[in-house]
Amino acid sequence: MMKPLFYFSAFSLGIFALASLITLLVVLYSIKYRAGKKHAFAYYFYTLLSLLCVGGALFAADYITLLLFWGMMGIPLYRLIGMDDTEGSAAQKALLMVGGADVLMLLGVGIVTALTRSFQIGAVPLMLNHPYAILAFMAFLSAAFAKAGVMPFHSWIPDSAKAAPATVMALLPASLDKLLGIYFLTRICFNIFMIVPNSPMSLLLLAIGSITIIAAVLGALVQHDLKKLLSFHAVSQVGYMVLGIGTGLPIGVAGGVFHMFNHAIYKSCLFLCGGSVEQKAGTTRLDKLGGLAKAMPLTFIAFLIAAFSISGVPPFNGFVSKWMVYQALLQFIKINPYWILPLLAAMFGSAFTLASFIKLTHTVFLGQPSEGMEKVKEAPWQMWLPPLVLAGLCVIFGIFAFQVPLKYLVFPSISNYRLPGIWQPNLALVFLSIGLLFGLILYGLGHVRRVTVRPPFFGGEKIDEEAIKVHGAAFYDAIRGWGMLGGLYRAAERGWFDLYNWLRGISFVCSLVLSWLEIVLNAFYGLLRLNLTFLLLLIIALEVAVELFLFRLGEREILTSLAGGAAALTLWWLVAKLRESQA
Amino acid sequence: MKILMLVTLNALACFVLFYSISYTERYSKRVLFYFLFLLMLAGLNGVILAKELIWLFMALEVASLSAYGLVAFGGEKPRLEAALKYFVLGELASLTILLGMGLIHHKIAAYLFIIGFGVKAALFPLHLWLPDAHSAAPSPVSAMLSGVVIKVLGVYALWRTIGFYPPTLGLLSVLGVLSILYGGFLAIRQWDMKRLMAYSSISQVGYIVLGLSLATPLGIAGALFHLFNHACMKGLMFLTAGAVEQKCGTRDLRELGGLREKMPVTAFSSLLGSLAMSGIPPFNGFWSKLFIILACAQLGQLWFAVAAIVGAILTMAAFLKVQRYAFFSAPRASLQEVKEVSWTMALPMLCLGLLCLGIGLFFPTVTARLINPAVVALLKTKGFFAP
Repeated sequence: MMKPLFYFSAFSLGIFALASLITLLVVLYSIKYRAGKKHAFAYYFYTLLSLLCVGGALFAADYITLLLFWGMMGIPLYRLIGMDDTEGSAAQKALLMVGGADVLMLLGVGIVTALTRSFQIGAVPLMLNHPYAILAFMAFLSAAFAKAGVMPFHSWIPDSAKAAPATVMALLPASLDKLLGIYFLTRICFNIFMIVPNSPMSLLLLAIGSITIIAAVLGALVQHDLKKLLSFHAVSQVGYMVLGIGTGLPIGVAGGVFHMFNHAIYKSCLFLCGGSVEQKAGTTRLDKLGGLAKAMPLTFIAFLIAAFSISGVPPFNGFVSKWMVYQALLQFIKINPYWILPLLAAMFGSAFTLASFIKLTHTVFLGQPSEGMEKVKEAPWQMWLPPLVLAGLCVIFGIFAFQVPLKYLVFPSISNYRLPGIWQPNLALVFLSIGLLFGLILYGLGHVRRVTVRPPFFGGEKIDEEAIKVHGAAFYDAIRGWGMLGGLYRAAERGWFDLYNWLRGISFVCSLVLSWLEIVLNAFYGLLRLNLTFLLLLIIALEVAVELFLFRLGEREILTSLAGGAAALTLWWLVAKLRESQA
Repeated sequence: MKILMLVTLNALACFVLFYSISYTERYSKRVLFYFLFLLMLAGLNGVILAKELIWLFMALEVASLSAYGLVAFGGEKPRLEAALKYFVLGELASLTILLGMGLIHHKIAAYLFIIGFGVKAALFPLHLWLPDAHSAAPSPVSAMLSGVVIKVLGVYALWRTIGFYPPTLGLLSVLGVLSILYGGFLAIRQWDMKRLMAYSSISQVGYIVLGLSLATPLGIAGALFHLFNHACMKGLMFLTAGAVEQKCGTRDLRELGGLREKMPVTAFSSLLGSLAMSGIPPFNGFWSKLFIILACAQLGQLWFAVAAIVGAILTMAAFLKVQRYAFFSAPRASLQEVKEVSWTMALPMLCLGLLCLGIGLFFPTVTARLINPAVVALLKTKGFFAP
């Protein structure tokens, strides 16, 4: 009997629905964003191909189908990142890291299918107590991590941020690849293998998640480029998903998975807003941008909502999922009190995210309009509608988290889910609204509005206003100077923490050593080549020897002698030609 | 098995001959080129069809001798040097094979055959002739050498001769693994396009030998499928390299760039070939590598599987390097005038590229029709060698 190739679950269908929505919005957005660019057919073809691959990989019921669609994602990734790029290094790096990890997945599939004797995914969940199983787990993990951009497989995302169009960033690393990677991570942890809370693999996931959150957000703080900054957050936020799933507790998994949905929404929204800014203002450099809120109000609103979401500000969706992850980590501390660091990492990560988005919102949209920014107009509707739709989703997923997304998308996939602690989202919302209202009243009642503006002066002399203008791009640059942290930043900028560079270095050394071996081996031939006449005689003598000693007279000897004669003729011709060319 | 080999050989030869029509316009002795080419083709067909070892050897000599001549074709010094090297090592290998034929009833003959055919197949450490010969030869010849000659004269002839002789299988696996890694690591170092592809051929032959030496149906299927696929994709890659060389006058990746805009058909075919070589699904190279890696894992030979994976990543790196430096990057000032090649060269490349994709997409049909019968036949084959 032919087993079905595809298997549809509520979970994978939900992810596919979101992926389709985002692709649709990105395509709508691209109509104006990519207008007049070359290779339009290829662009839309690869965009839709990536959605097809996501669908195939999500619904795959056996490993072969999974490998096919999973690996096929590399092609649109490679082509789309390299679409406008004349250098090609970012696309090369992306495909090498993602594709290399996909090849590793073959090893995992090989081991798992050999152990379970079945090609169905998750036919028999394996316990992680055998070295082979752990190796297979690692292989799968690296594939999922490379796709989702978890450290240490993250470095292709910031690199491609500069080269790739903003829509590609919004589509692939920010949403589709991430959805697929984290979806597969949940399959690995709870379907193919069984992760037990507080087992070594669970702790490994927690450690990786914490490092990813903190390191990437620290990287984001000091970026001076809009797209690159966003791409660092695309790495940092995955850490929360890994943390949630790594706890192995139902609420953590629900939180991690919900964060995956949320992240896809707000991060693609952010990248699309970034794209609008890039196109309208003509640059993504933060020190050139400024004061765009008035010129691009709709983009600004969408950006602001998404920024609040990613920073985990209630009542937006990012808050709910992060809150669930915190809960899971708190529960995890009860199991293992020594692992408090992931909780701290998650909390500080959130704070740093907020800090970096304050910087970003300030430099791009608030403050005084920078030079050349006066003429910037709002983007056409094709370009502001998609971000606004995504921002609307952020709000809905935040306020009605338990009524809509969690109920339909997340909980069906997680068995024996029990909500711990007291959770009153509406109460929190009420408190929050009261707080905001109170603030507004204070703002209105106070004397804030009655400000007199005077030109700044010092010692009785007026100062040029431009000279004292503070630009947000330099926020947090101070932390570069902090002792060890500064050293780490410098190391990071030189690529010391990039797995890709390490592997390149290792393979370079290996190939260098082997090329010496090649020289040594060639020296043997060099000895033969020294004297051509001697060589000719040697070969003929050997041939005659073999003929004389091994074969009796007969058909075989005649034939082989013929061959020998032809060989000698060829050699004579070659040598003659060679002498001719030397002369 | 024979049908698979004949299909592979003659299909590739057909594409390559079509390509040669305009490629050989630069040579004065075109008749000699086609004479040698067809003689080599006849020799290769003879090796596949030979019923007795002696006729296999004769056909092998015919094919080898004409191959030496083809590598030297054109008569420049590097070509002659490469041909001489190919000749010396190839003839020493033939002598070893002859010696093995004389000692056919002794066990030692198996090892003599492995050495002799190993040279013809360019297994590490017997591969010395290959990087020089493949990069120096005219591109259609390189395509044939890499695509079919090393496999027919090396791998196929070896298996026809000794079959699955158990004591040698371990040695062959190790040689295969070493070739995979060695070829892979040296390929990523190269800046000469054809030399890079030549080293990659060593690596890919390693996959074929590794798969065959596992002696399980899956491994053999993977190896034979890879043999077939590699003929398509490496043939294609050498043809694109020839097109680039003809139009730009150089094969050095550092001097190339921006050909994506200048030579769209070549760039597209080369992209298809590179993705296939890199083993990215749904291209054909993915499936055969998958089979081989799965076969290694199922036998519990994890180190072999890991080596095959490292080799696959290295191959990917090497071919993405070709893509990046030749076809991406900004066009050089010296390459502004470059045009697309004539249609007689473009058509075979495009066909081979689409074939790589098509075989990958319809791999169940290909394996069922072509590969599985070959596996069954090969498992039944008794070698000529009978200790």
